[in-house]
Amino acid sequence: MRLPALVRTSVFQLTLIYIGLFGASVVALFIFIYWSTVGFLERQTDEVIEAEITGLAEQYATRNLIGLVEVIRDRVRRPGEERSIYLLVDSTLRPLAGNLRAWPPQFDRPGELVEFRYTDAGGTEVPVRARTIAVGSGYRLLVGREIRELAQIKQTFSRASIWGISLTMCLALIGGVLVGLSAQRRIAQLNRTTRQIIAGDLSQRVPVTGSHDEHEELAFNVNAMLDQIEALLTGLRHVGDSIAHDLRGPLTRLRTRLEMLAAEEQPSKTSIEECLAQSDALLATFNALLRIARVESGAYRSAFADVDLSQIATDVCDLYRAVAEDSEITLSADIAEHATVYGDRELLAQALTNLLDNAVKYTPAGGRIKVRLSKHEHRIRLTVADSGPGIPAADRERVLARFARLDQARSKPGNGLGLALVRAVALQHDGDLKLTDNAPGLVVTLTLPVSRNA
Amino acid sequence: MRVLIIEDDKDVASFVQKGLTQAGWNVDHASDGKDGLFLATTESYDALVVDRMLPGIDGLTVIRTLRASSNTTPVLVLSALGEVDDRVKGLKAGGDDYLVKPFAFSELMARLEALVRRAGAGSGTPATVLQVADLRLDLLRREVQRADKPIDLQPREFQLLEFLMRHAGQVVTRTMLLEGVWDYHFDPQTNVIDVHISRLRSKIDKGFDRPLLHTVRGAGYRLDA
Repeated sequence: MRLPALVRTSVFQLTLIYIGLFGASVVALFIFIYWSTVGFLERQTDEVIEAEITGLAEQYATRNLIGLVEVIRDRVRRPGEERSIYLLVDSTLRPLAGNLRAWPPQFDRPGELVEFRYTDAGGTEVPVRARTIAVGSGYRLLVGREIRELAQIKQTFSRASIWGISLTMCLALIGGVLVGLSAQRRIAQLNRTTRQIIAGDLSQRVPVTGSHDEHEELAFNVNAMLDQIEALLTGLRHVGDSIAHDLRGPLTRLRTRLEMLAAEEQPSKTSIEECLAQSDALLATFNALLRIARVESGAYRSAFADVDLSQIATDVCDLYRAVAEDSEITLSADIAEHATVYGDRELLAQALTNLLDNAVKYTPAGGRIKVRLSKHEHRIRLTVADSGPGIPAADRERVLARFARLDQARSKPGNGLGLALVRAVALQHDGDLKLTDNAPGLVVTLTLPVSRNA
Repeated sequence: MRVLIIEDDKDVASFVQKGLTQAGWNVDHASDGKDGLFLATTESYDALVVDRMLPGIDGLTVIRTLRASSNTTPVLVLSALGEVDDRVKGLKAGGDDYLVKPFAFSELMARLEALVRRAGAGSGTPATVLQVADLRLDLLRREVQRADKPIDLQPREFQLLEFLMRHAGQVVTRTMLLEGVWDYHFDPQTNVIDVHISRLRSKIDKGFDRPLLHTVRGAGYRLDA
């Protein structure tokens, strides 16, 4: 990957911010530790120096310069690991007493606190922390402590902090870049897939690695969404093809007929009426298609309310009983009362009408149609069982699709959209539609959830 | 009869205008909501045919405005939307009936006639006895007689006859019957309504010289002396 592209990514920018914040807190931590260790030792040293200066100033006040020189000489001889350093000079900086050979050039104002190095008798350089005061007229006194240990600690500490901070930063940077790169790689993969889909290849899917993290969840959801879109598109394409295929025939026939009529001197009224009937049938097919599409789009859902399916079933049976009797079919109904579903009254009535219409159409004279509505705990089951020829098991799923008509049904009037609408209505009501064998005949089972308000 | 068509689709408007003129109606046409509203408020009509989708002021607003100014002229709403909730919206806005495009002219004609008739009947005490020629229907006693001979009808047949008698002399379409008698608003399939009519016909016309229940080809039925 090109670096500028990496720098532009949000993951990398977040990593940088993270490194910055992390670094700042590490530095703050080191400063605190320094203040509470090295600072503490320094303050202790300073207190000792201060105490000595106070003592020596008192000596001068009581015993004058001679006494001071004596005390200094006495103290210089005292043994100890961390030696005290003294130097008393006159106004020309000539040493009068003390264990320092020369006045260090760093001091020029009295009261100052300065660190310097001097070379002791053994020739080693020794770090010293010291303070000066003015004594009497023109004399100056330097009091200090050797700070070998403190200097050692300081040195070790600063080396440790430099290494520590740099190492922390390096690790944070490497970690950030690694995390960023991996996230970047997965997002790039997602982007690549979406670009391919935009380019028209809807079969592409985001690779799933099985890591169960949020990237995985995203990939999973995107794939699920794509599946849905692909299914819808396929359905749409299929519908489009079907419409083109199934409506072209009748339209062509209608056109031919009109063409023949136009050529006639005196077109007969019946021919014109037949053309009208044909175009009405075409319009009915279009309306049915439109209705299925609107049902599937969920357009009716906003108008859903509690409806009494028992009443609808009773009404529709009532509507069809006369038709059935005319065809010498016995229509019996066993309808449980007050089965309430949450839905659209007209759609449910239309669906039941379609089911009964099919049953009446395909049941031979002398046959039976049984409509049964039963209430179960959470479901309402409505079955329409006929004693017609039934539908072979292999075709049962297929006949639910639009324009699906079995060969033996071609002789009957119909547009092949009846069951498709029933299924669309069932699905929109969170129910389902099943076809089973009535041996002989067909059982259509419409299962709907009981309204939650019931 | 004087009717105003508010419809922006020229083909539909001229088709309706032509048909209604042939039927002897006096037809005015407005092609947008503003002109339509102007005509409807300044002129007096027996009925209005209003398309829902109009340029400028939409059809439902036209109807609402008319109703707000106490104009009670019956309105037939036309719509290409054709769905149940749309129907409810159209009727709520103050429309009296609703017709979905594309429609057969006979359907429009039948509905328009029913509207005008209903408006003409006005208020007053509702009839408890309906009579067409020698056919008598008593709403209170739930009895039907023809030439003083009692006729036994199923409850649904009784409702069907009542609807036909209330629209006596007018063409009543199958859709109107499904709406008026069964209260469902979808296209009745195949011949369900026809079967009910033929049963009713066999009860009220069989054995009488003069049939009362006529089939109007390509449109529906008419109960007439």
